[in-house]
Amino acid sequence: MELTRRNNSQVATIKKKTFLKKVKDSRTLILMCLPAIIFFVVFSYCPMPGAYIAFTDFNYKSGIFASKFIGFDNFKFLVESGSLWLLTRNTILYNFVFIVLGNALQIFVAILLNEVKNKMFKKVAQTIMFLPYFISAVLVGLLAFNILNTDFGFMNGVIKFFHGDPIKVYSMPNAWPVIMVIVTLWQQTGYGSIVYFASICGIDSSIMEAAEVDGANIIQRIRYIILPSLKPTAIILFLFAIGGIMKGNFGLFYNLVGSSNSMLFPTTDIIETYVYRTLMNNFNFANSTAVGLYQSIFGFVIVIVCNWIVKKFDEEYGLF
Amino acid sequence: MSKIGRKILATLLVGAMALSLAGCGGGSSKTSGKATTTVKADGTVDTSQHVKVKFVVLGNKPTNGRLEDVLKQVNEKLTKKVNAELEIQYVEWADWQTQYNLLLASGDSTIDLITTATDWLDAWPNIKKGSFLPLSEDMLKTYAPQTWSSVSPEHWNQTKYKDQIYLIPEDNYAQYTNHGMFYRGDWAKEAGLDQINNFTDLGKYFQYIVDKKPGVIPWDISGTAAFGNQFAGGYMQSNTKNIAIDGIPIGLSSLFYGKSKDEPYTLTSPYMEGNTLEEFATMMKSWSDAKYWREDVLNYNGETRDLMYAGQSGADQHHSETYFGTTRPLMDQKQPGSELKMFPFSEPSKNLTKVVITHGALAIGANSKNPERALMVYDLLRNDKEIYMLYNYGIEGKDYTITKDNKLGRPEGWDQTKDALETNFWCGRNDNLGLIDSKAYAGRADMVKNYNTYAIEYPYGQFIFDNSKSATKISAMADVCAKYIPKIAFGKVSDPKAEVAAFKKEMMAAGYQDVFNDIQEQLKASKK
Amino acid sequence: MEIKINSTIKKDKMTKIVHAFSYTFITLFALACLIPFVLMISASFSTETVITSNGFAILPQGFTTAAYALIFKSPRILIGSYIVTIIMTTCGTLIGLFIVAMTGYALQRKDFPFRNVISFFVYFTTLFSAGLAPTYLWMTQYLNLKDSYLAVLLPLLMSPWLIILMKNFVKSIPYEITESGKMDGAGDFKIFVSLILPMLKPALATIGLFIALGYWNEWYNSMLYLSSSVEYKPLQNYLYGIVNQATALKNSVAGANVPAGQLPTTTLKMATAVLATGPIIFLYPFVQKYFIAGMTVGAVKG
Repeated sequence: MELTRRNNSQVATIKKKTFLKKVKDSRTLILMCLPAIIFFVVFSYCPMPGAYIAFTDFNYKSGIFASKFIGFDNFKFLVESGSLWLLTRNTILYNFVFIVLGNALQIFVAILLNEVKNKMFKKVAQTIMFLPYFISAVLVGLLAFNILNTDFGFMNGVIKFFHGDPIKVYSMPNAWPVIMVIVTLWQQTGYGSIVYFASICGIDSSIMEAAEVDGANIIQRIRYIILPSLKPTAIILFLFAIGGIMKGNFGLFYNLVGSSNSMLFPTTDIIETYVYRTLMNNFNFANSTAVGLYQSIFGFVIVIVCNWIVKKFDEEYGLF
Repeated sequence: MSKIGRKILATLLVGAMALSLAGCGGGSSKTSGKATTTVKADGTVDTSQHVKVKFVVLGNKPTNGRLEDVLKQVNEKLTKKVNAELEIQYVEWADWQTQYNLLLASGDSTIDLITTATDWLDAWPNIKKGSFLPLSEDMLKTYAPQTWSSVSPEHWNQTKYKDQIYLIPEDNYAQYTNHGMFYRGDWAKEAGLDQINNFTDLGKYFQYIVDKKPGVIPWDISGTAAFGNQFAGGYMQSNTKNIAIDGIPIGLSSLFYGKSKDEPYTLTSPYMEGNTLEEFATMMKSWSDAKYWREDVLNYNGETRDLMYAGQSGADQHHSETYFGTTRPLMDQKQPGSELKMFPFSEPSKNLTKVVITHGALAIGANSKNPERALMVYDLLRNDKEIYMLYNYGIEGKDYTITKDNKLGRPEGWDQTKDALETNFWCGRNDNLGLIDSKAYAGRADMVKNYNTYAIEYPYGQFIFDNSKSATKISAMADVCAKYIPKIAFGKVSDPKAEVAAFKKEMMAAGYQDVFNDIQEQLKASKK
Repeated sequence: MEIKINSTIKKDKMTKIVHAFSYTFITLFALACLIPFVLMISASFSTETVITSNGFAILPQGFTTAAYALIFKSPRILIGSYIVTIIMTTCGTLIGLFIVAMTGYALQRKDFPFRNVISFFVYFTTLFSAGLAPTYLWMTQYLNLKDSYLAVLLPLLMSPWLIILMKNFVKSIPYEITESGKMDGAGDFKIFVSLILPMLKPALATIGLFIALGYWNEWYNSMLYLSSSVEYKPLQNYLYGIVNQATALKNSVAGANVPAGQLPTTTLKMATAVLATGPIIFLYPFVQKYFIAGMTVGAVKG
């Protein structure tokens, strides 16, 4: 109907009417989206102006906007003390290792699982491997403590049984990157391997059979058929994950390391744990916000870049 | 283009919405409701409206039911006298520093009476942050007349900030809250030590336990930042003549001290100057290696006092009053013959200040809806004999008895760890009305006499540090303290000297010198 | 021909090796996943003194149900936590799921002109967030939610990822369904409720389970916003307290009146952990396939 009206003087009115008409026509759908919109406005968008605290000498009597503005002084301290660099390094390195090793292990497990022919075994194994994903971070911390602590941990119990010296894990900052990686892999591999496993199941069995007939041994089959078929999925997942590289797994780190073991902080402090501690233990709203803001902005930039790269691969997969 | 344009528009719209919401939206509900308590034309107070008064108190909420029974009776009397009811909100010991400050920061309008202190509950910073209501002379005279007249003008002066009164001091209660270590006299004697009065001997005591008492941890402490700072502070007190200045918290640490009782206006910090911190760090490292506490002390969270009662810890750390009234009597009960003794941190250096009158103080919440009625309730709690006895000791016969010589006794089978009332009224105790505990350690008088031979008045009672220039630097310094002090205090470092050097370096980078100069200037100016 | 025969023999041996390796590795990995739980369970059935001197082991040492007996003598707080968690999980899941489904449906309707704007609006929150301090201030000072269960319930109702996931699920329902509803004169909401929802059962199950798991395992918001004046905390936060705060442990069995120094702390912590986690462990094998579905659909189209 709009197309037939070509009267120029009415074009402006038409455009406006069209917008209002759009609203009117889809008002039910808009209403259906309203609860979600309100939710995000209240819980995500409203606190955002609070990021301004990062630039102030925060005084909670004056509130956010009346506190003295001090520009980048908060950031200056964080940079000069090396804190910002340390946190960034830790967060990114950990995430990078989690992503690379994580995906590698997930693919590895998926491939092996595919080679397991006994259905019952496969099902039971999968169920067991899934288990760590479902428990809370609190429990993971507790289980780790049960195994690692010096006085009565399982690991040291085994070591003592073999007449070795107990390893004082909670006093060894350099052991912790390994521990965090192992625990993360423990928790996420079973669950994460599912996608890859599903992919492998989706490979046309006739291709596999043809390869077998042609004389390809199992290693070659894996190398030349299975792995390439997983490549697109892996790359996409990898790039998505990199997009979130500035966001750490707070629950895991906080519960495993604890909030007072400052010995371990140089190697285990990630942005989230620092933000939390600075707020809750030192009531330092300004510094906490400054680091949080830094994380958001840096992360935002990384996502944009990664999304651009993903789109180069396949326009379809871009997030926007 | 328009697609992106619309997206940007949407985001901007939302941003504007959010800003307007944040800007004009509510804020903390600053009360401007009508007062619930006013003075009538004839001069008496109008208490026709029944009011609930909430009292913030430190401690673990008791679960034995005594509190509820006692409060019922207290509230009956309060209702009769001022038509009000008391409700207690506990800030529990776990994480208390965080929880207490966060509670005050939130500007909660339901809290009326607040237990606070200038030396351990950061009263001055909270006053400056606007967490407490200024109390005018009129208010105090009208609604808390008995308290008003019982506190002297000099004492009222010590609670003023910018000429306004903010705190009601617990100034009629003799107490000694100087910290130290509790240790078992029986084991010390076996170790060849009579009275431990310095850290070296303490180390010998711990070593004895390691050698001869298997299954017992010399000091089974939980390595939290709070304990670490307290312990470090104790070492400083024992090994220097410096006097800690309250009211300038650097996170959980107290770094700034006056040089000595002869030079109180010269600022110093035993943490940053001289070798004291290094010596401390080295000693603690050797203690940690010698296993005087658990290997994983920084991740451990047992209750040292309970473990001591059970004979599994050889020591505990707290102050004299706790020793007199709690740990010594209880140890006599639970570990007969243990003869618990105390090594006060003040002994080796004879470095002790008397308790400030604001070690316990009452404040009114800045957003309280019933400040006048709250004051009336407090006045009664502090000065009304019946209510005071009920509130502090409980129901006569059930919670306490009065002995023949008019002291406080307990009924048969009463166990402090299980049956205590725990109203924790640490901001209004009154020696005029209170009873001396018959079970308290009999040697209290002697120990007090000893303290009085060298204790001095706290010199900084009226020094209030204005941190407006230094707040950011102080936050940065707090970060550094949080990073280093706990692990230094518990010896969890590989090279103590290097750690201390790193600590000092980072402190300087955080702006220590500027803050130091600021404080020194203000300190000199406060000299009277 | 010879070569072929050789390669056949080689193939079998190689395949056998690979298969054997697969079984071994998977078994070891599964064991690694299982052992921490076994340790915890066996410790909960052990004698306290043996555990503290010998350490954790696979089998219970000095088998006893003392820790459990202690808990059941005074289970008030544990039961309270359970009730709070169950109520919160049920309500939160029902409400959140409905909103997510409704929004997901609306956003995939190709004839909804604002769907891209709103989608972006929702998605943007994953790109940029206010951070902990501003959010904390907002929740406590402006929304006044300190010490309220709402502070835990509300933020977990939905997430951008779940809405997008739901959108993808709904996409698979042909537009003809909606069209036929429209032809019958029904409004969008009615179409959603009576026509679409019934067809979404697998999606609802999957997303519902994600939301429910989020509530059941929640401890972070509780830790931030619920102070000690809240008596019954969500289960995992309760466990956090038990594990990390000696007084919380004492209070949890306060009614049993055990003198403080005699609490079997370690075994008690383990027993509480078992009780706090139990349901999840029993339920999840049955609901596992829904999580798999969610993961695959989600991964395929971020």
